[in-house]
Amino acid sequence: MIELESAEQTGFDFAGLVREHQSMVFSLSYHFLHDRELAEEVSQEVFLTLHRHLADIKSGAHAVFWLRKVAAQRAIDAARRRKRRPQVALDEVAEPAARAVVHDPMLREVLRRLVATLPEAPRMVMVMRYQEDLDPAEIAEVLEMPIGTVKSHLQRSLALLREKLERRGVGGY
Amino acid sequence: MDWLEQELKQALERKEPSPDFAARVTAAAAGKVVTVPVPRPVRMLPRWLPVAAAVLLIAGGAAYREHRGKVAKDQVMLAMRITSGKLNHIQSHMREARP
Repeated sequence: MIELESAEQTGFDFAGLVREHQSMVFSLSYHFLHDRELAEEVSQEVFLTLHRHLADIKSGAHAVFWLRKVAAQRAIDAARRRKRRPQVALDEVAEPAARAVVHDPMLREVLRRLVATLPEAPRMVMVMRYQEDLDPAEIAEVLEMPIGTVKSHLQRSLALLREKLERRGVGGY
Repeated sequence: MDWLEQELKQALERKEPSPDFAARVTAAAAGKVVTVPVPRPVRMLPRWLPVAAAVLLIAGGAAYREHRGKVAKDQVMLAMRITSGKLNHIQSHMREARP
């Protein structure tokens, strides 16, 4: 019923949009918040907002842009509301127990944790860059941020992660 | 793209939400459109009712206590009268018994 109404009014099938983009929206929230339950709550909120604004969506590409933008905003809002898990400084993140090697699942988990502890803006920039494979100009557009700031966040975050990992004996192989 | 960026791409690859996520979202969206049952208004009790009930309980308790006190007092007075009568009776017998 809801799909029929939406399709008639806007040409978009709401349920189809959810199925197509749920992993994108959920992952943006999940990699930013590092909390599966909260990420699902945020994702549901994003799609319900999309449902209310379905008439404004002009194309498939616009839907993707809109969902990325709103998911980023809602994830940042959720992180600000969340007080139960305070942010941990990069220095406090648990070190890998053994020397990690490239393509080691443990290294990926360490990376996810390190990214999740970055400050809000650089964290979202990193998630957009490496999850969504967006270039700095696209990230700047989605996050409404100057492109120079995006590049700066990327460079500084990468340098910080590299330094933390190499200090622990995890380097390029 | 160096090794770290490659690892970041792997680490931050898209993940799927719970299998029922899409169904839950669609149902929630439908819930926003389909008439939501309006909760029946709760019939409020008058504000003075609990106060009145408390006053009645307190007053009733006080009256009951007073009544119990009066009964006890009457019983004590009756017991004293009986005792006094018995003592007078014993005294008169002792006077008669004396030479």
